[in-house]
Amino acid sequence: MVLIRDVLDKKLIDREDCDMGRVSGLLMHVGENTQPRVTHILIGGPTLWMRVNPFLGRISKRLGRMWGPKRSEPVRIPWSRVETVGRGIKLDVVAKETGALDWELWLAKNVIEHIPGGGSEEEE
Amino acid sequence: MKKILQLSLGIITSVGGFLEIGSVTTSAQAGAQFGYQLLWPLLFGTICLVFLVEMSGRLAAVSKHTVVGAMRERFGFPFFFVVSVGITIVVFMVLIAELGGIAFSLQMLTGIGFPWWALPVSLVVWLLMWKGTFSLIEYGASLLGLVTISFAVAAFRLHPDWAAVASGFLPSMPHSDKARYGFLTVSILGATISPYLMYFYSSGAIEEKWDRSYVVMNRIIAGFGMFFGGFLAMAVLIAAALAFQPMGIQVNTFPQAALLMTTALPKWGFYLFALSMLFACFGAALEISLAIAYFFAQGLGWNWSQNLEPSKNARFAFVYTVIIIVAAIPLMFGVDPIKVTMMSMALTSATLPFAIIPFLFLMNDPIYLGKYRNGWLSNAVVAIVVLLSFVLALISVPLEIVGG
Repeated sequence: MVLIRDVLDKKLIDREDCDMGRVSGLLMHVGENTQPRVTHILIGGPTLWMRVNPFLGRISKRLGRMWGPKRSEPVRIPWSRVETVGRGIKLDVVAKETGALDWELWLAKNVIEHIPGGGSEEEE
Repeated sequence: MKKILQLSLGIITSVGGFLEIGSVTTSAQAGAQFGYQLLWPLLFGTICLVFLVEMSGRLAAVSKHTVVGAMRERFGFPFFFVVSVGITIVVFMVLIAELGGIAFSLQMLTGIGFPWWALPVSLVVWLLMWKGTFSLIEYGASLLGLVTISFAVAAFRLHPDWAAVASGFLPSMPHSDKARYGFLTVSILGATISPYLMYFYSSGAIEEKWDRSYVVMNRIIAGFGMFFGGFLAMAVLIAAALAFQPMGIQVNTFPQAALLMTTALPKWGFYLFALSMLFACFGAALEISLAIAYFFAQGLGWNWSQNLEPSKNARFAFVYTVIIIVAAIPLMFGVDPIKVTMMSMALTSATLPFAIIPFLFLMNDPIYLGKYRNGWLSNAVVAIVVLLSFVLALISVPLEIVGG
């Protein structure tokens, strides 16, 4: 597996086949006498913007604290939760419980559901 | 049987959805000022679009990726960010132009000034997005758009000199006003090769669950649908050449443009023109609003489907809601949709290489397409037309801005 080609920016899908964003970054553990290994998948604005420019990453972090669901740290998914890497990356998690859908749920609850005909996010 | 129906609907919707304010305005201005001389960029643009739309459908059917999703994966977020800035600006301007086209058509039909229509029109477009399904938007709007076939009727009724028409398909230089000629060439190419069409088409293929068995059908839909659509734009140019050029009229306003239809069809021409523009721009406004929401949702990995209720894909619904409302604001203050159209079409040309050349790399990647990769012909045709439009845009857009 080539991490940048096969993992970075790939779509993440939870155990219920719900889209939960794309891989924003990877967290690696580099030990002195061990091989480097990927420990977590990172999802979220600050990590993404950091890839464009560190300054934008810091701004994104600051804005994340002030607005919306007020999450400033990226979501971390342990690599052990990765089930398959193919067209997308299938994870053994429930998207809503990870924080990856915080913005989706916040917008649904605070904006979309208040507009007539918007429906309810919780209805099945 | 189901596939034959899909095939017919696909071709009909491609034809009905082809014309919009950009293609009508650029073709009418080109015909009025340069006669048949600017038919060649329409032909080149249409051939390029046929290839691009076919590629978008093939990518979706074979790899199950939309164009945007695959681009993000293949080229990473920093690249996606740069392209998204350019695409958002251009597509936003095109949306203003299309909403303006609807408002202008209503002004022609009712006599009430177009700024008054900006908000109601945006609300109706938004409401259809909010409550409608993908099929309703794609098929419904495009079927209404079939009224634009009346442009072909108008062109035939004006009895063009077909030998002169044929000579327009070969590039030639005008005797005067070369800068304007260049700007119109670029605008026609920009109006014909719209990246948003690729995003919309590949998203539609995923929404309708295309697989490899659709590869041939996709080729027929893209080929026939886009070719006949391009034929309608050529009809506009031919009718404009016959209606305006002899009298030396330049098309600068919407009611002026109606003359190209009333000259051929004195009784119904005015209403046919207004209705054609109304439905064509309405369909385009829906497609563009959807395309921009698809762009962000697919690029960032959100839930997306026009068939889900808004709260089930809140970010997707939020994007189109915001962009439609914001696009109505300049129109309410009386910004001229024709000026916005001409500039947005030329800017589309200038940004084409950034959207299209990476897409060509993708279409040659065996990881995504295996044996369904591009051949040399499609690569060459698309690369040449896109680079030509880019170079012309670099020269003519500054000249147009400086020269007004």
